[in-house]
Amino acid sequence: MEQKQPRPLSTVRAGETVKLARINAGHSLNSRLASMGLLPNVEITVISNTHPGPFVISVKDSKMMLGRGMAQKIMVL
Amino acid sequence: MKKITVALSGNPNSGKTSIFNMLTGARQHVGNYPGVTVEKKEGLCKYAGYEITFVDLPGTYSLTAYSIEELVARNFIIEERPDVVVDIVDTSNIERNLYLATQLIEMNVPLVLAFNMSDIAEQKGLLFDIEQLSRLLEAAIVPTVGNKSKGRAELLDAIIETAQQDKPERTHKVNYGGEVEEELARIEAIVTDKEPELASKYGSRWLAIKLLEQDPDITAKVQNNKEVLDVVTASVEHLKIIFADQPQIIMADRRYSFISGA
Repeated sequence: MEQKQPRPLSTVRAGETVKLARINAGHSLNSRLASMGLLPNVEITVISNTHPGPFVISVKDSKMMLGRGMAQKIMVL
Repeated sequence: MKKITVALSGNPNSGKTSIFNMLTGARQHVGNYPGVTVEKKEGLCKYAGYEITFVDLPGTYSLTAYSIEELVARNFIIEERPDVVVDIVDTSNIERNLYLATQLIEMNVPLVLAFNMSDIAEQKGLLFDIEQLSRLLEAAIVPTVGNKSKGRAELLDAIIETAQQDKPERTHKVNYGGEVEEELARIEAIVTDKEPELASKYGSRWLAIKLLEQDPDITAKVQNNKEVLDVVTASVEHLKIIFADQPQIIMADRRYSFISGA
């Protein structure tokens, strides 16, 4: 079986769907993102990842825009 | 004329402001919450022999202590005890929007849910069994379309009906699962015993939930009570070992499961 290493969400291309592995952030950012549905194993679809431009994802049927710094802290599989 | 106060809560972009405008028309005034630069909008509405003051709370995804808006919204609900809280739900984004509802349910407030943007949800082909949802969430649910002023009378009727009811204990609660519930029970017991004033003000279960989540605002209120802190710390550490994650993440996950189960 292929063992995948978690990679930052910021490297995922538009159209791809990935699973959240962990968030490399402190207690407070972690809690806020959790309340927005960014929880372990949740499916994230990247809607737009253009540079420069907005980083938009879809989680639980809701679209949200993330800062690129934040997208680097979110590790996905 | 009877006077009641109603707080409007909801996610950002849930159409809270259009509902606020629909309810209060031009009778609004804008101030500040004491001590913070978060705008406080209030408006008045006379309806069926009631003078209803609507307070527009800041738009939030949740009621944690991690942003000033969320803290302001939470403190208003706890300190001012509005007669009814109306949660404006964007029905086209129902899961994330109902997360806030689970937090209001946990605070045991008299709750009315406005299922807003019901026209967009319909276009998307989303259908809800409102009666069943209403039974599960133990709150009246009113479909609204704020920017078309649909559902105004129905919403006002539901608010008045909810304000008149006695506050019942809720029978459906978010169940956090065996291990977490065990720790919650432990914390509830110690706060009821050692912090009776806080426990009666906030409700012992809510207090226990917030302590287990390591909520900074609530934790600060018990920081001089070593006995309570020791129990909380032991519980947090115990759960971290079991789940290899922070308790508040596990708990957020369970709240989302509660929503998808409903």
